Amino acid sequence: MRNLMYRFICRLIPLFFFIGGGVTMSMLYLARLGLRNPDVCWDRKNNPEPWNKLGPTDQYKFFAVNMDYSKLKKDRPDF
Amino acid sequence: MAYPLQLGLQDATSPVMEELIQFHDHTLMIALLVSTMVFYTILTTVTSKLTNKNMLDSQGIETIWTIAPALILFLIAMPSLRLLYMMDEVNNPHLTVKTIGHQWYWSYEYTDYKNLEFDSYMIPTQDLIPGQFRLLETDHRMVVPTDSPVRMLITADDTIHSWAVPTLGVKMDAIPGRLNQTTFVVSHPGVFYGQCSEICGANHSFMPISVEAIPLIHFEDWSTSMLAKI
Repeated sequence: MRNLMYRFICRLIPLFFFIGGGVTMSMLYLARLGLRNPDVCWDRKNNPEPWNKLGPTDQYKFFAVNMDYSKLKKDRPDF
Repeated sequence: MAYPLQLGLQDATSPVMEELIQFHDHTLMIALLVSTMVFYTILTTVTSKLTNKNMLDSQGIETIWTIAPALILFLIAMPSLRLLYMMDEVNNPHLTVKTIGHQWYWSYEYTDYKNLEFDSYMIPTQDLIPGQFRLLETDHRMVVPTDSPVRMLITADDTIHSWAVPTLGVKMDAIPGRLNQTTFVVSHPGVFYGQCSEICGANHSFMPISVEAIPLIHFEDWSTSMLAKI
């Protein structure tokens, strides 16, 4: 009986791996969006509008393919 | 531009569209391979005369057909996400053009240096000169220089429209009260057509977009002549 249970669980391991990995990655990305995205405001008293604090070298997107954000210069007046 | 009985995407005129076409080819090939394999398997299963009453489970193949689709999906997702982020990058545009969708025409504004504004109505079919394209030509084209990143700021005046030029890989909704931004680079000179891509009333199919790309040295001549005309 225990042997059957053991075999059952073993054979489902690839499934757990992929589904679990997918769920984990989605949750991590959502957490990143919630905490790091400048469009999100958690603390209305101390940090009310984080989207106004972006500099030209900030990269808030997850992934930059062609742009080298560290080389950009600020050419706009201060808000 | 589009041609009769076209099946695939239009040829690319911008680097982003080239990437999109490659990704489409990659994904379509995977889809065709999977479909062919499934179709073949079903065909052989249905036409087979063999029966085995004792075959109950088969852990080997079950493992394989859990891992293989996951791998295939990963191979589709990675280029897709890369392309998605690439399309969203702002690439230091040389020129900003604002376009406003109205019922039922587009208006373009070039306000970087002087105020150039004009409307772009479709040329009605009865007014076409032989050689012009039906439902695609406009009286004033949006002219941009080649090899220059162009920033488009897109909005609308009344209903939702959508500014789309397939060969550049550009489509962005024009929503009243909202300013959408997209960028593109035109690789070679020519005239490129698109059509309004969001239902906006009676003449939704009759408000096309035509983009003309010319070398930068001629672009200033054009904008000077347009300013004088308008």
